[in-house]
Amino acid sequence: MPIPEEWNLSGKAAIITADRRGWTPFLAAALAEAGADVAIAGSTHSDAADAAKAVEEQGRRALNITTDIMNADEVEAMVQQVVDEFGKVDILVNNAWADFGKPFEDVLEAEWQTLLQFNVRSKFLCSQAVGRRMLAQESGHIVNIGSGLAVRGLWNSVAVCAAAGAVHQMTSSLALEWSRRGIRVNGIGAGWITTEEQTEESQRELLVRYLPSRRKGHPTDLCGLLVYLASDACDFVTGQTIFIDGGALAHA
Amino acid sequence: MLEKLSLDGKTIVITGGGTGLGREMSVAMAKAGADLVIASRRMGPIEETTEAVREQGRRAVAVSTDVTDSAQVNALFERAIDEFGKVDVLFNNAGIVRGQGSIPIWDISDEDWRIGIDTNLTGAFYCSRAVAKHMIERGGGKIVNVSSGFGFRGGRDNYMYTCGKGGIVQLTRTITTSMSRYGITCTCIVPGFIPTEGTAESNDTLPRGGFIPMGRVGRPHEMGPLAVYLASDASDYMNGEMFTIDGGGLAGGYAPTGYAPEIPLEV
Repeated sequence: MPIPEEWNLSGKAAIITADRRGWTPFLAAALAEAGADVAIAGSTHSDAADAAKAVEEQGRRALNITTDIMNADEVEAMVQQVVDEFGKVDILVNNAWADFGKPFEDVLEAEWQTLLQFNVRSKFLCSQAVGRRMLAQESGHIVNIGSGLAVRGLWNSVAVCAAAGAVHQMTSSLALEWSRRGIRVNGIGAGWITTEEQTEESQRELLVRYLPSRRKGHPTDLCGLLVYLASDACDFVTGQTIFIDGGALAHA
Repeated sequence: MLEKLSLDGKTIVITGGGTGLGREMSVAMAKAGADLVIASRRMGPIEETTEAVREQGRRAVAVSTDVTDSAQVNALFERAIDEFGKVDVLFNNAGIVRGQGSIPIWDISDEDWRIGIDTNLTGAFYCSRAVAKHMIERGGGKIVNVSSGFGFRGGRDNYMYTCGKGGIVQLTRTITTSMSRYGITCTCIVPGFIPTEGTAESNDTLPRGGFIPMGRVGRPHEMGPLAVYLASDASDYMNGEMFTIDGGGLAGGYAPTGYAPEIPLEV
């Protein structure tokens, strides 16, 4: 089936940040399938190289730029390199995220710092560096990949939930600030997502049985929404975090 | 992945499909490949929408239905199944703004209240109830509700619309928690102010765009891609979720739009 015109990202340049979760190849490939050229920014430990390969398999240009997204200078250099190569940036996907679980009383200050640096500060740096260029061209889409933990608590997850809440509110407030300047800022609130194959045994997991949809999600479950939020079809949608969680929040 | 956005072979029942946002969504879904059953009280507008669907090369039937009458709602689904053999997706879109302008609470009659709640909430319940077993027998389906920004915020002297639309939010969550186990997912579109011919009566009192963060009202055609996405297999893991399309309205609201304090950092 031809891609519906509303989803067409042909001629668009995207940046996606990478992490160790393994979602980036799927998300980047979806942007590429819709027609975008995609730059991937992440560390050498991340899934950036796989993501670049996935983009090229879709016949689009990929740039794998090794970047410490917690470092302002490296982020600025990365964004400039993308502008040099692609001519512009239309789409920023703040995908990079680190999970962390530990009883609160044992959390080290350094762990807290690093987690918030990676999950929150990186989004500040990338959104500002890319956003300044989007403001100049008066158009752009920023998509923050967040979590249902933005609006619900979880044991051993104070730092992760605080970070998720921060991202959620960065989405609302940045959307307002730039709403009349051609930039749309939205989020995807991911539920329990895994790249692991779901087996009969995993289906018996308590967590899986708790979810209304009776399965964990896969990164591909986020792809349609990502392309929509990256496209001009969502022009009247801003400041929203849309949750894809198999119904978890409906009864949480 | 994007082929999941195709609605080829899907049968969709939409209430309130004759006018406004319902018409826009119907045509967009037909364009994406769906056949449609279009229901509304008045035959004229739904016949126009069915014609617009047929122009996209899809099949469509118009069924005059008052969604506040459960016998008519049951007949709607019998007709849909007779015509197409199945229902894959139900869009609970019917609702009224008409006569819902500001009325002080003491002037609202029992009848006003009943009609308002019946049209905005009970109709969606009747339709969901009528299609549930059919979807379960087929192994699943999707129910997409249409609420409103007024399902989340209060509206001055506007009881039936806000309460009905707030009820739609809880209907969405309850269908999700109750029927996911049968393969039925439920989501909800939350439109902000998108003027259509149906809102003409209240267009003068509703915001023009100045109070909307983005600075403009919505355009009816903007509902199309969202409807297609929610009806499609691409949204299979979205369940119980409210999808807001409102130019940023609900993202703000804690202070008037444009209020932007500048305060130096001192710790």
